[in-house]
Amino acid sequence: MAYEKPLPKPNADTRPFWEGCQENQLRFQKCRHCDHIRWPPSVICPKCHSSDTDWIVASDKGMIYSYVVYHIAFHPAFENDLPYVTAVVKLAEGPYILTNIVGSDPSKLKCDMPVVVVWDDSSQEFNLPKFKPLNE
Amino acid sequence: MSLRKLRDKYAIVGAGYTSQGRIPDRSALSFYVEACVNAIKDAGLRKEDIDGLICYRQFQPVANDVVVTPYLLAQHLGIQPKILSQESYCARGHFLHAISLIEAGFCNYVLIVYGDNALSGKRSFVKGATNSEPADDNAAFGEFGRAAQFAMAARRAMYEFRTGPETWKEIAVCQRKWANLNPIAMMYDKPMTYEGYFNADWVVEPFRLYDCCLISDGGRACIVTSTERARDLRNPVVTIMGIGEHNTSVDIHQSDFMAGPTGANMAGKMAFDMADITVKDIDACEIYDCFTYTVEITLQDYGFFGPGEGEDWFKDGRTAPGGIMPVNTSGGLLSESYFMGLTPIAEGVMQLMGRCGERQLGAKTGTKEPEIILCSDNGAVFQSHATLILRRS
Repeated sequence: MAYEKPLPKPNADTRPFWEGCQENQLRFQKCRHCDHIRWPPSVICPKCHSSDTDWIVASDKGMIYSYVVYHIAFHPAFENDLPYVTAVVKLAEGPYILTNIVGSDPSKLKCDMPVVVVWDDSSQEFNLPKFKPLNE
Repeated sequence: MSLRKLRDKYAIVGAGYTSQGRIPDRSALSFYVEACVNAIKDAGLRKEDIDGLICYRQFQPVANDVVVTPYLLAQHLGIQPKILSQESYCARGHFLHAISLIEAGFCNYVLIVYGDNALSGKRSFVKGATNSEPADDNAAFGEFGRAAQFAMAARRAMYEFRTGPETWKEIAVCQRKWANLNPIAMMYDKPMTYEGYFNADWVVEPFRLYDCCLISDGGRACIVTSTERARDLRNPVVTIMGIGEHNTSVDIHQSDFMAGPTGANMAGKMAFDMADITVKDIDACEIYDCFTYTVEITLQDYGFFGPGEGEDWFKDGRTAPGGIMPVNTSGGLLSESYFMGLTPIAEGVMQLMGRCGERQLGAKTGTKEPEIILCSDNGAVFQSHATLILRRS
């Protein structure tokens, strides 16, 4: 069956992140001057305005900072997923990223619950970093 | 403080209303034009007096409309203002910009306006949204629209302090009671009970349908001028006693302070400092209420109650008709109609002018005769906040 959900549209800033995902890696920029790990990607560190930057590979772990449960499909391709969960996960390295929590009953989720990445390659074009509760 | 010299120096002298609710077969532009013309009439001005025109942001056109630009609006109003502007992406600086233009001497009468045919044009905001153009990479995860983004903030708040549907039901029901006194409110003839609130469908959990604001056809406009000029015009004088603005700017998906403080905290301090008063001096509030939770966090950040004390504070009809702190007396965005910050601000002006009929604050609704009303406007997902403290002169 064709994949009908929207896909990421990498641009000059975000391309290295999505290329990392193809190798099942979460890549983020780290400022060489102040060590701040930033997201979303940018040419300059928002903390210290240095452009001196490394890319690092983050661990696969984080915690649910917040989450919501969709009961209406705002896009028809998500109809069969209802109810589904989008969440902001705080990665161990610091960045907050928007993702899905999968593999768990939405009613069992809590903020600050530890989660680990699961890679969704069902689009066959992009690997999407999703997360599941660490203990499931 | 330097801003105190501006206290009560500027006034809102006219409010423009249009037919509103579900008004089929009207362009967004037509509501802008009607709201502007009615505001000019209401203030007792001539169109030539308007030398500044500031539009709220306009969304993508629906129903074969053209894009509403300030040029187009000025053309249709038959005016050539010195200053034209239109805000993008909901940064809420309109009234502050108007005062600045007048204070600097560039303008005398600044018209601020918003209009839309969102309901009949089937603009996709919350419900009835069957398709959504992906705006960014978050769409890959099924993340669409404002309801989810505010719900995300509200969920974190539920974790950090005592809040949730038990608090929000009070906000939804009390505002509906105000709407039931307001014949132009979209929910005028639709009472709401706690059961009705809880029986409504989830939209994006933790928000149910009645946590979400309305989608409306219509428009609203206000005119700002100096208090000195206002005294020569036809309406009772309502001054801007204090104004504040703060733009936290951070996207909610990357925010590490999702549960607050929102921009209301800093904007409120600025406005209260300029007005040289505290929350104890406020007689009523008109709070931007895109969602029920927005009302709670805004009043919390203004200092009406501490984190988690909202559930008790909203109890027993404190904010309803007859209550000691009326909030959103037109019904607000939740139960009157959605015209961005102009819904609450125009209501604050009308209440202080004493033009609110059955819902008029004072003896008629068993509330305090209002002298000072606190109004707020919020932009994007807690990224921009404006506070206005209005006073009857």
